[in-house]
Amino acid sequence: MMIPVRCFTCGNVIGEHWEEFKARAREGEEDPAEVLDELGVDRHCCRRMMVSHTDLVDVVSPYQ
Amino acid sequence: MADDFDVEVVTRDDRSARLLVRGLTPAVANGLRRTMLSEVPTFSIDTVRFVENSSVMFDEMVGLRLGLVPLTTPLDDYEVGESATLALDVEGPATAYSGDIETSDDLVQPADENVPIIELKEGQRLEFEADAVLDTGKEHAKHQGGVAVGYRHLQRVTVVGDADEFDEEEPNILRGVIETEDGELVHTEEFDADLTNRHPGKELEIEDVPSAFVFHIESDGSLSVDELTLRAVQSLRDRADELAEKVAV
Repeated sequence: MMIPVRCFTCGNVIGEHWEEFKARAREGEEDPAEVLDELGVDRHCCRRMMVSHTDLVDVVSPYQ
Repeated sequence: MADDFDVEVVTRDDRSARLLVRGLTPAVANGLRRTMLSEVPTFSIDTVRFVENSSVMFDEMVGLRLGLVPLTTPLDDYEVGESATLALDVEGPATAYSGDIETSDDLVQPADENVPIIELKEGQRLEFEADAVLDTGKEHAKHQGGVAVGYRHLQRVTVVGDADEFDEEEPNILRGVIETEDGELVHTEEFDADLTNRHPGKELEIEDVPSAFVFHIESDGSLSVDELTLRAVQSLRDRADELAEKVAV
């Protein structure tokens, strides 16, 4: 669904970085590791939140 | 315990800091860490009254996300248990962001503007009124002002000689802050956490410096790191005084 607001493990707010990460690393060609470094998402618990996320709003929206 | 602590700032900005504190016992260091997490109150959305929610998420899911958005907290103006009112009205196609939330008090604002709450499609709408309550992390984790607060011993690295010529060159990984022989404080990230980058071909001795702790403090934005630390120290002191008063005959 939507990117979680905070990292499940440490509680750092990561939601705010999602759209930039998506634009640069998913849709763009940049290296995800470098993008995350630049965004200041340092810990591997927060990084996995971004790397493993899938937006599902578009998939669910026709059914409600 | 009457001695003063010696505090040195290693790195500091608004949301994160590394502080070296000397003269602590591990019990006080841990007490301080726990106080920062559980005793310093912050604002967080607690009750939501939905006017309309035709988004793809249930009210409860939106409510959970709202509770996690950090709100700036003017601790001088509010007491624990007091509340502020917030409202949001966004109509699709658009994404509702934390920055779209309107508040009754300008001092209570979302700390980050760009947290997506929910993406709204054509014809969907999210409108609600919410109460943010000032409470402590002890009550609910969403009220914790500190994120990943922890401490390590300060480590002293001394060069004791040259490494044996035929020794295997293995990485010597060390985390945290080290004290060099000249008393300089260096974070291990500066040399990629590998001591062989800093002292190639040397034999090193690493020891914990007694009663010196390096705190790593990070805030979620609801309070500045300075305020979080000072309020935690104040809370610890107040409760110690209260205890002393109660056990006094």
